[in-house]
Amino acid sequence: MMNTALQGWGLWVALAGACLGTYVCRAIGVMLSGRINQDSEIFRWLTAITYAMVATLTVRLILFPIGLMNNVPTWARILICVLSIGVMVSKPTKRLIPALLTGTLLMMAFGFIL
Amino acid sequence: MSKADQPYIDPSEIPLEGSAAERFKTRSDAFWSGMRDAAGAPAMVLFAGMVGFGAMGRSAGLDGWFTVLSSIFMFALPGQVVLLEMVVTGSSVLAIALAVTLTSTRFVTMTVTLFPQLHDKDRNRHLYASVHLLAMTAWAVSMKEFSSIEAKHRLSYFVGLGLLCWILSVPGTILGYFLAGLVPTPITLGLVFINPLFFLLTFTEVKPWINRIAISLGCLLAPIFTILDRDTSLLTTGLIAGTIAYYIDRKWLRKRAGFIG
Repeated sequence: MMNTALQGWGLWVALAGACLGTYVCRAIGVMLSGRINQDSEIFRWLTAITYAMVATLTVRLILFPIGLMNNVPTWARILICVLSIGVMVSKPTKRLIPALLTGTLLMMAFGFIL
Repeated sequence: MSKADQPYIDPSEIPLEGSAAERFKTRSDAFWSGMRDAAGAPAMVLFAGMVGFGAMGRSAGLDGWFTVLSSIFMFALPGQVVLLEMVVTGSSVLAIALAVTLTSTRFVTMTVTLFPQLHDKDRNRHLYASVHLLAMTAWAVSMKEFSSIEAKHRLSYFVGLGLLCWILSVPGTILGYFLAGLVPTPITLGLVFINPLFFLLTFTEVKPWINRIAISLGCLLAPIFTILDRDTSLLTTGLIAGTIAYYIDRKWLRKRAGFIG
């Protein structure tokens, strides 16, 4: 199912395309700023797509990882995520850093007992 | 209803221009204050993300230059991780560019909400350079602080803030890349896990229902589309889940009070 990694010039063309695409979005923002309503339909749609894509990316990285992370059983990856989210929502105030630390350290700890 | 600490979301209210009291004396005062404000939790989280990205690049066997250059010239972690994932699985160059560009469309919204708050004098061609410094972190902090900064000093504040974040992302990436080659595997494992975990945790702070639905649908559809065809799954899932969420919002949610941000 999995192809081999991009190599040679393809790698650099992909990088150039990614940099260009990202900058173009920033530049379009400058061009439109002050001339368009940020609540317009197209923005709502694009924002929803962005969220869905980042969600897909996240699920892919957690459930279908490539390389190193593959050695950690799926249940452990999910459990660590659940525990981190638990820390995150345990208080209504921002708990991003404690939650991030919990997950990262648990993953390291799991790696050592693996 | 949008909160300033929610990077992807369109804030509904732009604070009034020129309403603030004199907070900074000079432009350089504002610039350094921006730098100081960046050098706390925002920069720490970004730095950790960049370390994680560097470690991902190393453990995926990517070129060090490739990894670092993407931090310098993209400076957008979700897009960078998309690039890395798709390069490693060997997607086509076109699919990669398209997927990365789509994840970056949030910058359009972010710029459109932030830059009209700058002083008219600052709204010129130079903004095309300053805009590269715009990322989640700088955007969220600026949205919050701009209301208490007089218009003529806002750009300097933003540049100070964004510049520090941008500059820090380079050593962060390099550190992650080299650490992943030096430290024992379990440590690398933790570093590689930073970014997926970070994305996951930020989802809990998303408030508008349209985006919550998009995230939930994305999570549900992701395994199916990944198994069907990994190369195109980011694009297909994003487009399908995002469009369904938009449709649900437009057809039903907006008619009910209390569901719109």
